[in-house]
Amino acid sequence: MKPLFNIKSGGPASWTIRLSCTLVLAYVLLWIPTSGSNSLIDTATTALTLMGAALALNLLLGFTGQISLGHSAFFGIGTYTTAIFVTRWGWSPLKTLPVAFALAFVVGALVSLPALRIKGVYLALVTLALGVVFPQFIKWPKIAWLTGGSRGLTDTGFKFDKDNRTFELFGWNPWGNLRGENVKPFYYWIAVVIVVIVYLICRGLVKSRVGRSLVAIRDNSTAAAVMGVNLAVTKGIVFGLSAAMCALPGCLTAMKGTVTPDTTLLTAIGSITFLIVMVVGGAGSLWGPIVGAIVFQFITEKTGDWADPKEIPSILRPLFSWSDVAPAGGIFALTLVILMFVAPLGLAGLWKRVVTRIVNVVPKPAGSATVGAPELSTVAMPTWKPQPVSAEADEVK
Amino acid sequence: MELFLQRLVDGFSEGSVYALIALGLVIIYRGTGHLNFAQGEMALFSTYVVYQFGEWGIPIGIAVVMGMAVGFALGAVTEVAIVRPISKKSPFAVFIVTIGLFQLLNWLDGAIWGGQQLPNSGVGSKQVRFPSLFPSKPTDFVTIFGANIKIQSLGVIALVAVLTVGLFAIFNHTRLGLAMRAVAANGDSAKLVGIRTGRVLMVSWGFAAAIGALGGVVFAGINTNVNLGLMFTVFIYASAAATLGGFDSPGGAVIGGFSIGLIQNMAAGYAPKWVGQEMKVGVAFLVLLGVLLFRPSGLFGSSRVERV
Repeated sequence: MKPLFNIKSGGPASWTIRLSCTLVLAYVLLWIPTSGSNSLIDTATTALTLMGAALALNLLLGFTGQISLGHSAFFGIGTYTTAIFVTRWGWSPLKTLPVAFALAFVVGALVSLPALRIKGVYLALVTLALGVVFPQFIKWPKIAWLTGGSRGLTDTGFKFDKDNRTFELFGWNPWGNLRGENVKPFYYWIAVVIVVIVYLICRGLVKSRVGRSLVAIRDNSTAAAVMGVNLAVTKGIVFGLSAAMCALPGCLTAMKGTVTPDTTLLTAIGSITFLIVMVVGGAGSLWGPIVGAIVFQFITEKTGDWADPKEIPSILRPLFSWSDVAPAGGIFALTLVILMFVAPLGLAGLWKRVVTRIVNVVPKPAGSATVGAPELSTVAMPTWKPQPVSAEADEVK
Repeated sequence: MELFLQRLVDGFSEGSVYALIALGLVIIYRGTGHLNFAQGEMALFSTYVVYQFGEWGIPIGIAVVMGMAVGFALGAVTEVAIVRPISKKSPFAVFIVTIGLFQLLNWLDGAIWGGQQLPNSGVGSKQVRFPSLFPSKPTDFVTIFGANIKIQSLGVIALVAVLTVGLFAIFNHTRLGLAMRAVAANGDSAKLVGIRTGRVLMVSWGFAAAIGALGGVVFAGINTNVNLGLMFTVFIYASAAATLGGFDSPGGAVIGGFSIGLIQNMAAGYAPKWVGQEMKVGVAFLVLLGVLLFRPSGLFGSSRVERV
């Protein structure tokens, strides 16, 4: 089927579309904290938190093909770095962001050392174990003096009463007034800044020479090594960066005030949540995790009180009324399984497939363009070959 | 000495659960090369089914057998309906699907058998009491060399030993076992000599899930209750056990399971300040990491050739 429109990449039509998308996005971003309800701002902040973590995971899993189920631990490193620096040493929460970034980078790079030898599902196992160990480690009596043990830490966020300030921008105050009673827009803006930083790092990496070597590692690491990609260094840096970026939204969690090791996103469930967000949105696509996080958080909020059959809209009642718990977990688990059959590249992949039927973006001539996202047909998914069960089995073939 | 003996038996009885789950992981891995992340949750689902049978007044012994049958069906259907079609696409898709199943089954347990999601931990809070297969009153123990050994622990160990011997008899002395070994050694050649590999794989998944069901029931019995988070750490221990034994060696999985049970119980017992109950899982993590770093094929597994 021929697409209806042909658009030149970099031409006026392409720029118009880009500009209008950006404007709509900017409008929505501003509209939420200024005109949205408090619960909407909360939802948006949580969605942005998930977005940051899923974007970080996507760089590792979607682009480099290294499976990590331990990102909740890196997220938690961010949370606890902020919490500890604020409560023990009285730092300002925003100043802890670079510290958390650096710390998580180091830990991530350390984890990547075994990851150089451990591949595929084994890496998934080790990182899953890391995710399970992390909350236990926080509760460990030996370091409870620092982390507060299983009771957690309180007053880990901003102290608004002391600096009772409001920011005003031409008489209009999108930041929220920081007197303690309505600080939601403030957290929201921090979340936005974090996501923008993470997105820009990802985008900068992916659209550069490094990004191409990442995709090469994912698709065929032997060929990548032959072409001169330094596997060890590249994997190490990407693992570290991914961990570091994942720590940033973690810091935000601590900035809201209290921290306990049993917070959902800090346990292995958190890793699985990030994975779900990323895969539903679209692995290996820069926009995928962003879409995924919005969809995930929206559905989770909407169905949050569906454990009570009276809360379910009447059309859907027969479908969900038997369930004793909110159906979001089941919906996303089922979506994950079904997506793998019909659209392994998630919502972003689905969108791309639909749009290419309508609009065809003609790329610039070779040599002048930057490399875009991998083509759907050539690169289906991060692949690692199933390991032959034994060396003999390999030889027989 | 008494304390040592007690810890030994405790370690063995917990280890036997890990051995069962690890055995399921290994059976599936040998057949298809996939790691089934939903293994623990499949076991948990069957455990809830057994609980339900018990609620309906079926004696626990019969309920367990019926639960294992349900587990078998669950595993077989999963293989045929979900894993087989998806494994033609990519191993990554299989990984995601098993994660999806993990989440789906856990949610289903909560949805059917109740349990509010705690706002903070995400793990269901409601616990239901679970009957033990063996006498488990505080007075049910025997004294050996001065150590008070629970009858339940001994029963669990004996049960798992019998089951393992039975499984190895199936592997080594029946046509089905021969077919399973053939598929594990070389799937394509097995197909060429007329083995119905599809059916063998289906049965393998069924076996794995049924063994897992028994593991779940035994663990719930030791634990005296069953809750939605029961299998999270057990899965970590079991995968550490399978890694330690070698991912393609069923015997290794059993030995690995017992070893992990022993190591962590001894560590928790003799270093209560350093390990204690909190860092038991940390010990398993270190074992997992150490084995993968220094001997990736495990103690009994066959080694692979890596080029890059």
